[in-house]
Amino acid sequence: MRVTIPRLRRRLIPFVALIAVLAVLPVVGIPQQWLLYLFLFFLYLALANMWNLLAGYSGLICLCPAAFVGLAGYTVAIGTWVGVPFYLGIIAGGGVAALFALLISIPVFRLRGIYFAIGTLVLPEVLKYVFLLWRPVGGMMVGRGAGYAIKGVAGVSLAEWYWVALVIGIASIFLMRIILRSKLGLGLAAIRDNDSTAASSGINVFQLKLYSFLIAAFIMGIAGAVFYSYGGYIEPVGAFNIRWLLTALLATVIGGEGIEQGPIIGAAIVVLMHFLLARYTGISLIIQGVILVSIMLAAPQGIMGLIRKARAYRSSVTVSY
Amino acid sequence: MEVLAGLSTPIMMGILLGGLYVLIALGLSLVFGVMKVINVAHGDWVILGSYFAYTAMTMLGIDPFLSLVIGIPLLFGIGFGVQRFLLNRAFAVSLDAALIVCFGISIIFQNFCQIIWTPFSRGLRPPYALESFTIGGLHVPLVYLLNFIAALAVMLLLREFLRRTYLGKAINAASQDRRAAQLMGINPARVYAFAFAIAMATAAIAGVLLGLTFPFTPTSGVSFLILAFGVVIIGGLGSMMGTFIGGMILGLAQTLGGYFLGAVAQMLIAYILVFVVLAVRPQGIFGR
Repeated sequence: MRVTIPRLRRRLIPFVALIAVLAVLPVVGIPQQWLLYLFLFFLYLALANMWNLLAGYSGLICLCPAAFVGLAGYTVAIGTWVGVPFYLGIIAGGGVAALFALLISIPVFRLRGIYFAIGTLVLPEVLKYVFLLWRPVGGMMVGRGAGYAIKGVAGVSLAEWYWVALVIGIASIFLMRIILRSKLGLGLAAIRDNDSTAASSGINVFQLKLYSFLIAAFIMGIAGAVFYSYGGYIEPVGAFNIRWLLTALLATVIGGEGIEQGPIIGAAIVVLMHFLLARYTGISLIIQGVILVSIMLAAPQGIMGLIRKARAYRSSVTVSY
Repeated sequence: MEVLAGLSTPIMMGILLGGLYVLIALGLSLVFGVMKVINVAHGDWVILGSYFAYTAMTMLGIDPFLSLVIGIPLLFGIGFGVQRFLLNRAFAVSLDAALIVCFGISIIFQNFCQIIWTPFSRGLRPPYALESFTIGGLHVPLVYLLNFIAALAVMLLLREFLRRTYLGKAINAASQDRRAAQLMGINPARVYAFAFAIAMATAAIAGVLLGLTFPFTPTSGVSFLILAFGVVIIGGLGSMMGTFIGGMILGLAQTLGGYFLGAVAQMLIAYILVFVVLAVRPQGIFGR
């Protein structure tokens, strides 16, 4: 212990300092536009971290982040209509997303590999139709389909939402660290590398995959709930849209799938891209698609993978590590 | 008796509509059977086929079916190129990489269609699009009948092609055992490219019939992709006959769902059916 604590502390200090700087940004008055992009960055970071946990570490190509995001968003919205304050609704949203993950795990976890991907691809589409048809509270249809305004969020400023997102983003990083260094993470790594060997070594494959699926659903749900609480309005076509998958996928793949730091870089690049492509909304999907395809073909391990390779090469040459 | 008479229309429409789903699913099934990758861009290829026919009809006044003379080779060529230059490289990385590349291609084509043809809903409306005739008291829309006939024809053609020609046998061999096929002098990369290109050619045909049957937008590829998955899943992967039956079942689920629960619920019923089959019997009803 005596050895590890100073080492840990030394590595933690710049990290804590960075968080402190990020936390005071709204107070020192940076432009609202920047604050908004940082807000998005932290939410995307949480999404990408969880997608990385599933795809990179658990071998689950989950094509349904939109299902978790949309369900949690609807939980908040419907909650505010029946008198539940939105901050409780956000946590409840994560809970509902995790509950939904638990529910679908029964049929979906029987599917392996590619079948799992197909099964999860269908989910957001089903939910979209459910919410287009089903309007539990609030009577009259407003606008297109079952859209809801989220009540009671008018008084909350962007700075406050930014702090919430900051907490979620940082928490997701720590969560990944804790998971990957725990028994769960080691078990997941064993499953990803060879699931039958892992099973024969006494690892409960179903249980560990279920745990990571539930954790990911919960965090994705919270991130989605905060996004829609900030926006103040939710409707089925946007909530269960494939772009949630695209965001999580792009951030993870660009940064490096199966690498812990990958999503941080990936999410930053995705937000930067949104910022740069804001003027070219017409062709933004083409650009994102081209980036996705070329990264996948040129550097399947993403940017962090390239950095790692370069580092490994250098250290093997100079033998300084 | 009243109920039965009322039911006969949705049942017939469901079977005929199933033809369209079979057509969309055949390409998907072929690619999956041979390369073991789900081509998530397949729906967008079909929509591209629809838009091509739409352009040929509105700009040049060519009948949608006649436009296939150019449409099929065009999509065949694109498919060959995509497999040869993009997917083949992705396969070398992993199957997940291939899936993600397909996803990237899908959004590229969605956006491409949006730029060229705008996001508005379009449809193919040649003079015969709304015609129908009566058989034994049943109104049969001509387009629906064409769906069924085209599905049957394409399926039989594809089956005979895979059984009788050299290329078809090579595709079969490469899908059964890649290394053994390689030892017999088959170039898998080339064979895969042809299989992918043929799948795209069926997408061109499916696109024309889809445009005749339903209105389409650049983003409707996703919903038809999921329907095609449903067909493939219900019928069992890799089985042509299974795909055909699967299409009929899904078409029936949709029209009967619409009949009993209203028009808005019909897609929901179809999706739920897909999910139930996936959960109960992932290898499909006719799968091995």
